[in-house]
Order: sequence, then structure tokens, then C-alpha cells
Amino acid sequence: MSAPARASRAKSPKSPAGFQVTIGNTGALIRCAADETVLHAAMRAGIDYPHACASGNCGMCLSQLVAGKVAMLPRADATLSPEQAASGKTLACRAMPCSDLSIRWLGRTGR
Amino acid sequence: MTMDVAARRKDACNRFLRRAHAVLDLEGSTPSALHALKIKLTALAARTELFAVSDFPMPLAQGRLHTLVAEADDGLGLHLLIGMPGKMSQPHSHGIWCVNASVSGKERHVLWRRTDDASKPGYATIARTGEVLMEPGHGYAMADLDIHSQEVVGRQPSVILALYGYTFERFTSVVWYQPEFSSVRALPSRRAVAAS
Repeated sequence: MSAPARASRAKSPKSPAGFQVTIGNTGALIRCAADETVLHAAMRAGIDYPHACASGNCGMCLSQLVAGKVAMLPRADATLSPEQAASGKTLACRAMPCSDLSIRWLGRTGR
Repeated sequence: MTMDVAARRKDACNRFLRRAHAVLDLEGSTPSALHALKIKLTALAARTELFAVSDFPMPLAQGRLHTLVAEADDGLGLHLLIGMPGKMSQPHSHGIWCVNASVSGKERHVLWRRTDDASKPGYATIARTGEVLMEPGHGYAMADLDIHSQEVVGRQPSVILALYGYTFERFTSVVWYQPEFSSVRALPSRRAVAAS
């Protein structure tokens, strides 16, 4: 489930140690701080997560949230439709964990 | 006979584009030509009654692009961008010249230059070279490969007019830079994607 960051943050217990994030494409298990994006945590962990703008403008990091909850930083409308969000898709560059997550990036055909 | 706002906006945009073409036909997209376009676009943006946010659908998320005029045959593209507070874009170049002018709200635009030798695929370093606070009365021009980042600041939505050498939907080579990762990524050509 995705929601604007400020709204969700107020309800989410912060974890100083962050959350566990499983990257389905590689099987990697990484740590992601509550105020860090999934993309940033993945790149920091040495995972070449697909991306371009890293600011919610291009949609290259479109991903399927398999399990868990995220809060979303601001983004452009064109990058994630309401239908995509409703089906569990998210943007790794905008998604910050509110729980442990399982996520996988989508290729151009998986959109 | 009084024209409604939409008709006056269309008329004003078309007049602006005719003047833009007159400049470009004479000079090409030289720095002085883009400077002249910036002055004309800033004057158009000052006609705030034509670009009230209430006349355009607001973003469902935090950023939305409206096409005001998209000329045929790879002509000019005139767009209106609405950004909500906090909406930002990391450093990027458009691959085509651009002129911006603020209608309302505030955006902080930072200008950058590439500092590595582009010899390593996917890797780039950039450095800040300047900053522009985009608010009503302000605008600036960028050449094809100029790099900028932007962030909506303050509490009001930002409304920006942007003129590109061809319309947004026809961009061929937007390149994004991530200073934090030292990465550079080129987006697939929009016209190639549209044709596939």
C-alpha cells in the first residue's frame, strides 16, 4: 500500500535500525532505514537497481511491492497511475519502508 | 465580442509561438535567441489570468504536465507544469533547448556541470555552478545539454511555463545524473518508445 509520506509517517513506528527489504530479482536481503528510499538502500548495498531520475519523474524503477508497506515521497503523476498503485506497484526511488518489505523491479514488459 | 479565458490563452500562446519562430528563424537557437525567448515567455507568464491553477487539473500525486501547444512535424512544444510543495527533480539534461518562466509559486533550480570525462559507462560526477529562484517575473534558458535540478519550495503550488525545441512527448535523450550514486542514466527515446 502506498500513501503520501507525511500522512503515513505520522502513523508508522520508526525503527532506528530500519527494515529488512528482500529484492526479489536477486534474492538479496538488505537493510533500509525508515527515512531512506528502497532505491537508495539497494544502490548503497551494491545492487544495480534499474533507475534513471531517482526523483519520481521517469518510472524506470517501477516495482512490484510483494509484501509490506511503504510511504511515498512526491512524484509526477505520469510515473505511477492510480490503477498501478492499487495493484501494488510502486516506485523504488520514492518508496520508504514502513515495515519489512519484499519488492521486485519490473521490466518494460511487466508494467 | 469577449473571448473566454481558454480562447484568450490559446490566442496568446499562438502569438507567442509566432514571435518565437521569428526569433529562431533569424538566429537559430543561439544563447542570445534563447535569452530573447526567455524575455517573451516571462511576459506571457505574467498574464496570470490566463494560467490560473483553477483552470487546469491539479496533480493526482505532486506533479503534472499540461501541453498548451504541440506543433506538428517536430515543431515547438509549449507546456505548463504544476508542482506541489516538495516535488523535485534530480539533475538532468533534456537533450533539447528549453526556456522556463514562472507563473506562480516558487521553485529552486540548481544548475550543474559534468566534471568527469564520460569514459566510464553509467558513471558521472557533476558539480553545482549556480542557482535560480523561479518565482513570478523570473525565467531562464538552457541549451540542449545543460543540466539542472529543481524543487518546489514554499507552501503554494508552482506553475511554470516551459518552451522546448520540440514537444515533451518527442524527447529523444533525457539524461539523469545522481550525484549521490555518481551514476548517469539515459532514458529511452520517447519517440522510439511511442513508435514501438
